[in-house]
Amino acid sequence: MKKPMLSCSGLSVKYGRREALSDFSLSLAPGEIRALIGPNGSGKSTALQALAGLTRPVAGSAAIGDRAVAYMSRREIARHLAFLPQQPVAPDEMTVEQLVRQGRFTHVGLFRGYGPRDEEAIRWALESTGLADFADRGLRELSGGERQRAWISAALAQEAQILLLDEPTSFLDIGYQIEVLDLVYRLSRERGVGIVMAIHDLNQAMSICDRISLLEKGRLVFDGQAHALADSGLIEKVFRVQGRFVQLATEAPPHFDVHLSRWRDITP
Amino acid sequence: MTAAAPQSRREASGWLVLAFAAIALLSLAIATFLGVVDLPPADIVAALTGHGSSEARSIILDIRLPRILTGILAGIHFAVAGLLLQSITRNPLADPSLMGISQGAMLAVSGFLVFTVYVHDPGSNTLQELPLNWLPAIGTIGGVLAGGFIYAIAFRRDLGPLRITLCGIAVGAVLHAIGIGMIAGWGSARIEVLLEWFSGSLYARSWEHVVFLLPFTLAGLAILPLVRRPLELLRFEASVARSFGLAYSRQFSLALLIACCLAASAVGVVGPVVFVGLIVPHLARFIAGRRFDLVLPLAIALGAITVTLGDLVGRLLGQAEEIPIGVITAICGVPVLIALLRRTT
Repeated sequence: MKKPMLSCSGLSVKYGRREALSDFSLSLAPGEIRALIGPNGSGKSTALQALAGLTRPVAGSAAIGDRAVAYMSRREIARHLAFLPQQPVAPDEMTVEQLVRQGRFTHVGLFRGYGPRDEEAIRWALESTGLADFADRGLRELSGGERQRAWISAALAQEAQILLLDEPTSFLDIGYQIEVLDLVYRLSRERGVGIVMAIHDLNQAMSICDRISLLEKGRLVFDGQAHALADSGLIEKVFRVQGRFVQLATEAPPHFDVHLSRWRDITP
Repeated sequence: MTAAAPQSRREASGWLVLAFAAIALLSLAIATFLGVVDLPPADIVAALTGHGSSEARSIILDIRLPRILTGILAGIHFAVAGLLLQSITRNPLADPSLMGISQGAMLAVSGFLVFTVYVHDPGSNTLQELPLNWLPAIGTIGGVLAGGFIYAIAFRRDLGPLRITLCGIAVGAVLHAIGIGMIAGWGSARIEVLLEWFSGSLYARSWEHVVFLLPFTLAGLAILPLVRRPLELLRFEASVARSFGLAYSRQFSLALLIACCLAASAVGVVGPVVFVGLIVPHLARFIAGRRFDLVLPLAIALGAITVTLGDLVGRLLGQAEEIPIGVITAICGVPVLIALLRRTT
């Protein structure tokens, strides 16, 4: 296995007295896509924030390469790691291009002007997300899917090798969801970007991600590949649902078919 | 996108800033040439170049010019402080009076006056030499202390923008109440001085005031390039700004400190000129549109212009009984604010 670009072990985070994450471990290889799944409130966002150094853990530590995130400056972290929170909000009158430009802050800093290298990165980020024609549009004029892509574009402009996405497909229609997932896949395979994303759609997680981490009440209960997850029987237990895993094609990942009470009596 | 487009856009932006700088200079000139005492333009030019009658020299060099310059500096202070506060609190209504800075300065000044006057001559109701020279310094200290107090409260928990705004409002209300209470229990003859100062006035401002303000202005403007980019990022929520690589707490604190010093020193000298800190940033943003880099220079120019012209209007309308600048800005500010709100929503 390749040397991990992002790792953490024994990570615990408390909000007041409530333990939101306990003893969480993860390691991410270059070009790997990792899904974080789990019920609402299971600690997915907390895990991402702790990995990004945005939340101070009470125990354990996260490291980029072999350097502890806690000892790196925000600018240094941003050069290696881009994090996109859930439903981020931008100032009202900002345009797509201006948002994407903020992604270059980690490279230009407080004084330096934007050089050709920066303009090139911004153009690439806009084009990769199909937003080149939207550059001068105000963010408020965009649809939800376009806005989400603009935020991803800003994260791309950071040119970080690690990308953390908190539910990047939520609130998007299925067309935009697939667009985002295809983009994530391309980034990992073509650019070797390592990606960790919290995602609710189990089937999308199994089909696009190389590995899956399953969280329950802040604890990691599974870490492995989709087939092993299907065999573990954990999904039905953790999400309190009935269903079965089906194999749609020999090479394909397993597909979870959930039982609705309405169709309980119909046997396939 | 071609390379030529941003180039020409940048040139257009430069011209816009130059145009507003020219308007600022023009308003300075108009304010110098117009006044309650009608001086012929020739006399004024002569006075400016060091010639002319001693009366004209005294009016122009000792009265009008320092007053106008004090106004320009104070206007810049209020505008920049308002812009900084609005950005870091992500609250379009934030300004020095909302954040408790003005009230801190007011309380310090009224407390100082009550204390010194009573210590020197208890019981008397005569208007004797009040220690007015100390007011700017006392006001500045009071304002910075109030800002620091609010910051400390907000910092002990979390640096949430909403919390810091609410703290500012609450602390401001308490300080204001104490200040008013102090004046109410005070001899009536002296209230006039305080009332004039409380309404924001440039009356009888001299070179001393210019000299007092100038170091704050220069230091503030010198640090501004340092916060230009962080200011854009501070308008995002903290987690986003930090993900983009911003040292959020440090930059937030720096911007708040600059805003406090600028606002408090201006309040100390001219009193709380309301609405300049609130309206000018909105006006600057409206004119700049999507060219964010223009907002700061435009706010500086517009701050100078509004206070200069506002004071000129107050001087000319009121004649001998001039109308304080704070009253003018408040009256003119409301329709401007309403117009801006209608345009943006």
